[in-house]
Amino acid sequence: MDYVTWRSHGLRAALAGVGLMAAAPAFAAEITIWCWDPNFNVAIMREAGERYTKTHPDVTFNIVDFAKADVEQKLQTALASGTASALPDIVLIEDYGAQKYLQSFPGAFAPMSDKVDYSGFAPYKVEVMTVDGKVYGMPFDSGVTGLFYRRDYLEQAGFKPQDLQNITWDRYIEIGKAVEAKTGKKMTTQDLNNGGMTRIIMQSGNAWYFDKDGELAVEGNAALKGALEAQAKMVKAGIVKPATGWNDYVKAFTSGDVASVVTGVWITGTIKAQTDQSGKWGVAPIPKLDIPGAVSASNLGGSSWYVLAKSKQKDAAIDFLNAIYAKDLDFYQKILTERGAVGSLMAARTGDAYQKADPFFGGEKVWQQFSDWLGKVPAVNYGIFTNELDNAVTANMADLTGGKAVDDVIKAIDEQAKLQIQ
Amino acid sequence: MSPLLARRTASALRYLLLSFAAFLSVFPFFWMVIGATNTTADINKGKVSLGSALWDNVNGFFTAVDVPLILWNSTKIAIFGTALTMLVSSLAGYGFEMFRSKLRERIYTVVLLTLMVPFAAIMIPLFMLMASSGLINTHIAIILPTIASAFIIFYFRQASKAFPRELHDAAKIDGLKEWQIFLFIYVPVMRSTYAAAFVIVFMMNWNNYLWPLIVLQSNETKTITLAIASLSSAYYPDYGTVMIGTILATLPTLFVFFAMQRQFVQGMLGSVK
Repeated sequence: MDYVTWRSHGLRAALAGVGLMAAAPAFAAEITIWCWDPNFNVAIMREAGERYTKTHPDVTFNIVDFAKADVEQKLQTALASGTASALPDIVLIEDYGAQKYLQSFPGAFAPMSDKVDYSGFAPYKVEVMTVDGKVYGMPFDSGVTGLFYRRDYLEQAGFKPQDLQNITWDRYIEIGKAVEAKTGKKMTTQDLNNGGMTRIIMQSGNAWYFDKDGELAVEGNAALKGALEAQAKMVKAGIVKPATGWNDYVKAFTSGDVASVVTGVWITGTIKAQTDQSGKWGVAPIPKLDIPGAVSASNLGGSSWYVLAKSKQKDAAIDFLNAIYAKDLDFYQKILTERGAVGSLMAARTGDAYQKADPFFGGEKVWQQFSDWLGKVPAVNYGIFTNELDNAVTANMADLTGGKAVDDVIKAIDEQAKLQIQ
Repeated sequence: MSPLLARRTASALRYLLLSFAAFLSVFPFFWMVIGATNTTADINKGKVSLGSALWDNVNGFFTAVDVPLILWNSTKIAIFGTALTMLVSSLAGYGFEMFRSKLRERIYTVVLLTLMVPFAAIMIPLFMLMASSGLINTHIAIILPTIASAFIIFYFRQASKAFPRELHDAAKIDGLKEWQIFLFIYVPVMRSTYAAAFVIVFMMNWNNYLWPLIVLQSNETKTITLAIASLSSAYYPDYGTVMIGTILATLPTLFVFFAMQRQFVQGMLGSVK
C-alpha cells in the first residue's frame, strides 16, 4: 500500500535525521497534511512531497485524505477546542470558505507574507487569503472560467470562433437563438439550484456578495444585478436547457445536447473524456457584463494550502510549500498533464505543458488562453458567508426566472441573507 | 360489492401497498449491486442493468484503500464496542430495575435526559477530554464514549421488568452472589433481549461516522465508512468503486441481522424464556 512505503520512507528519513541533527539545523520532520480527493489533491500533494524529499531527504510526508466536508468538520472541531496537537501541519481549504476560518480563528494559521513572493500568483487567489494586509496560505488550484463551445454547432449556425471573442451576455443570447434556429440545439445548460453561474458572472463584474471590507453588499451591487438579469434573460429567451443536479448538467454538454457551457477550467477533463467529440470543441473567454470594471474572466471554485501556526513543523511546512508551489515550474507542468490541475502561479505558463496546442479543441493553445484569463480574474473579497448568500440566491432563482422584477428579487435575497447571517 | 369481493380488493390493495414499500426498501440494495458492476459513466447515465466492470471496480477499491486494514479497524471497533456496551449497559439496566433505593428514579431520569443532548453539543468538550487523555487517533477514543449508552440502559431496564424476581430470590437462597445471579441467571434468561441489543449496538458501532471522523487522524486508523466517504468526495468520484466499498460495508450488518433475525424479533417483543 502507498502509505506503507511512505511510512518506511519516514523511518529511514528519521534515522537519517538523527545523523544530521548534530551537523546542521535541518528539519527532520514528518509533515502531516489533510486534504480531499485521492485522485486530485492527494495525488498532487504526493508528487509535491516526492519532489521536496529529493532535496530534503530528512523531511517526509503523511498525507491523510478525508471527504471535503469532513476535513472542514475536523478542522472546525480541533480549532474550536483549541487542541493544537490534533491538527495537521498543512490543511487544504476551499477558497470560498477561507476567510471564514482565517477570521473566526485569528492566530490559528501562519502568515507567510515575509517568506513567499505572492506577486507571482494570480492576484485574485492572493486576495482570498489576505486578512488585514497579511497573507496566509499557499495559492493552489484555480477555477478560472471559460466558455466551452461546440465548434461544429456554431459553424452550422454561421459563427466563427472570432465571433465569440469579447461578446456581451446579450450577444451570447442572440447567438444562442440563431444556434437553436439552425441546429435545434439549446445554447447552454444550467442547474438553477446551483449558485455557480451567479458567482461566475458577479466576480467577472469585479464584485461579490460582500464589499472589500467584508460588509454585505447585495443591494446596489451592479455586478450581482447584472448576473441575475443575464440569467433571467437567458431563461426567458429559451436558450437554456434546464438541468437537475450535477450529473444531469454534465450530461447536457457531454452528450451533445447543448452548444456551449460556461464553467471552471477543471471541467476540461470531463469534456475531453468524450473522445469521439475530438476537434469539435473550442474555448472562448466568457461573455462580459455591460458595466464599468467588468472583464471576460472569472473563477469558479478552487482551493489553497494553509499552514497551522502552532504546528511543530511550521518552518519545514512553509519551506516545502514555497519550494514547490511557488518555484517549481516543472511541477506545474506535471500536475497539469497528469491531473488536469491548473495552478495559480503565473510563471507556470512558460512550461511545455502549458504551451501545447490541443487537437481536441481544434488545435487551440487552451492552457495559454486559460492562463491569460487567470491573471485577469478580478480580486474580490469572498467574505465569511458565501454559502449563506448562495442559499439565499438559489432560493430566489425560481421567482427570478418566473418573471419577478430583478430589483424585487435582490430585495428578497438581501432580506433572507440578513436573517441568515445575523 | 359482495363481502368476499370487498375482502379481496382490500387484500389486493394491501399487497400493492406492501409491494411498493418493499420496492422502496430493496431498491437501494439493488442499485448498489447494479452500480458495483458498472462503470461510473454508465452509472451517471442511469443504466439499470448489470454491467461488466465488476472486476475493475473491485480492483479499483482494493488499490485505493488498504481493505484488510480498514475492515479490521471497523471490525475491532464494532466487536469490542458492542461487547463492552452490552456488558456495562445491560448491567446498569438490570441494576436500575432490581435494586431499590431512594435516589434510583432520580439518577435514572438524569441518565435518560442525556438522550436529549445532541451529540454535536458534547462533541467539542469530548474531543478536549480525549485530547488531554492522549487518546486522539486511537480506537479506544471511539469505543469509550459509546459504552454507557442511555438508550441501551433504558432498553434493558424495560426488558428486565419481565425478568421474574422469584428467579433472583431463588438464586439468592441457593447461595449465589449478586454477580453470579446476573451472569448465570439473568444473562441466559434474557438472551433474546441480548440478541436484539447486539444487533442494534453492532449496527450503531459499525456505522458510526461523525465521532470516528473527528477522532481519527491517520490513514492507518480509518474505518471503512470514512474510507468510502473520502473516495466519494472526489471531484469526479468513481462511483463503481464506491459501490464496492458500500457492499463490503453492508455485508457484516446484513450478516449479523440475518443470523440473529429470529432472536431479534423475539427480543423486540420482550419475551422471557
